Amino acid sequence: MATRYAFSLDLDRCIGCQACVVACQAGNELPAGDRFIVVSDIVRGQAPDFWGSFAHQRCFHCGEAPCVAVCPTGTLSKWNGLTVVEPEKCSACGYCTDACPFDVPHIIQNGVSKCTACLGLRGQVVPVPDTQVAQTLKDGHIPWCVQTCPSQALRFGDRETLLTEAKGRVAALQARYPKAQVYGETQLGGLGLLMVLLDEPSVYGLPVDPKPPLAQTLWQEAVQPVSLGLSALAAGLMGAMFFVARRQHALEKAELHAAAADAPAAAPPSAAETVEGKHD
Amino acid sequence: MTSTASGQVRRYLPAQRLIHWVGVGSFLILLFSGLALLFPPLAFLAAGGLSRLIHRLAVAPFILLPVLYAVLLPHQAKELLLESFTYTRDDLAWFKHMPAYVLGRTKGLPPQGRINAGQKIHHASTFLMFVTVAASGFVLWFGVGRLGPDGHALTAMIHDLSVLGLSVLMIGHVYFTFLYDALSGMVTGFVTEQYARMEHLKWFEALAAPVAVAAAPASTTETPAEAGPAEPPQP
Repeated sequence: MATRYAFSLDLDRCIGCQACVVACQAGNELPAGDRFIVVSDIVRGQAPDFWGSFAHQRCFHCGEAPCVAVCPTGTLSKWNGLTVVEPEKCSACGYCTDACPFDVPHIIQNGVSKCTACLGLRGQVVPVPDTQVAQTLKDGHIPWCVQTCPSQALRFGDRETLLTEAKGRVAALQARYPKAQVYGETQLGGLGLLMVLLDEPSVYGLPVDPKPPLAQTLWQEAVQPVSLGLSALAAGLMGAMFFVARRQHALEKAELHAAAADAPAAAPPSAAETVEGKHD
Repeated sequence: MTSTASGQVRRYLPAQRLIHWVGVGSFLILLFSGLALLFPPLAFLAAGGLSRLIHRLAVAPFILLPVLYAVLLPHQAKELLLESFTYTRDDLAWFKHMPAYVLGRTKGLPPQGRINAGQKIHHASTFLMFVTVAASGFVLWFGVGRLGPDGHALTAMIHDLSVLGLSVLMIGHVYFTFLYDALSGMVTGFVTEQYARMEHLKWFEALAAPVAVAAAPASTTETPAEAGPAEPPQP
């Protein structure tokens, strides 16, 4: 049984220092302007009575990832709980940028760009599955953001372990923050980034119950196979009918010839004449 | 009056044939480059954006088809459009005979004009789906990343269903072309007189009328009420 890997992010511990953002950019050698993590401030109320936290926008490595479902080339796929990228397959169609409920993947330099848990540098192939990567993880692979975090807000490892930890943290935090909760336990097949929130998800701009869009499911599970199927069926059916119909048509032409021969009274078709078509 | 082989009737002008084959070429390129995103075994074509480049290059001639038609043959373009959306009693009667026609029998078909009722439906649907496939295609092209999950999926559904419609129409179109040996109309521009009589009697008679003027007005009245294709009008 393959381990299901995940990140966890404790927003009570996050100090908003942006170290993860920079470490990710440097460690993954992202081109200028590209980033896998965006950390922004949340401030509610007014001084002296205000409350602040930090919103992180980054890949949630969804268990049932809409980006993986929509990807037509297999560039995005699930591997041991993580949503990984094989850049050499990407057509930059951008379907994933529209499908993601968290607005995470983006297209940069003619290819998809998103967090791969540091399992491959940009431009390199992430082999899926690959024993070397599996060994790397077993040996204690730690993504750059997690390595850098100075306040131990970020963790990476076995999802079950992280989930138990997160629940423990929430239980402790609820004395101070009654609405504290774990985000990501069940959403979209269980998220691969578990967040310890201090308030409602909406405060952090997160959807309470993100779902793969119905229209997308309808499109991919019904419209696409039906379109392909009906086209193939039409081609097959007409191909088969053609032989029957051709014989009928040949018979009819033979009947016409016979009729023409039997009726010498009727003048034969215009002999040396070509009729100029009228196109108006 | 063009004098070539005997028993031949001019059906399409060179410009009409040019537009037709530009349409065939661009549609097939669009179809197969588009399939790269639908049919996993073709996904390798999409890697690095190759199929997308081909798809977008082929959009240019495809989208220019109606413009080309309107510029080169404004009169014929207008006529085709009007004819395709005008249906008569003969057309309704034609549809009743359609099952036999599909299976290779033209006997008993009501006399048809330059384009028969089936071709009218074919052209009318093609016009409509040309609009939906092009519009949804441009939305997907320029709206990517801004459509959201539902907007993207709905637009893609319109695009896919339009392509389904156009593909089935194309398959039927090819079917009838080869069933009734009509390909020459789009290759040389001429069809056999036999074909013209069988399938487009009204059109054929209208063409033949000026030729038959000398042979007395009887030629038109002689047209059998049943319109059996076996009865040739007096030349």
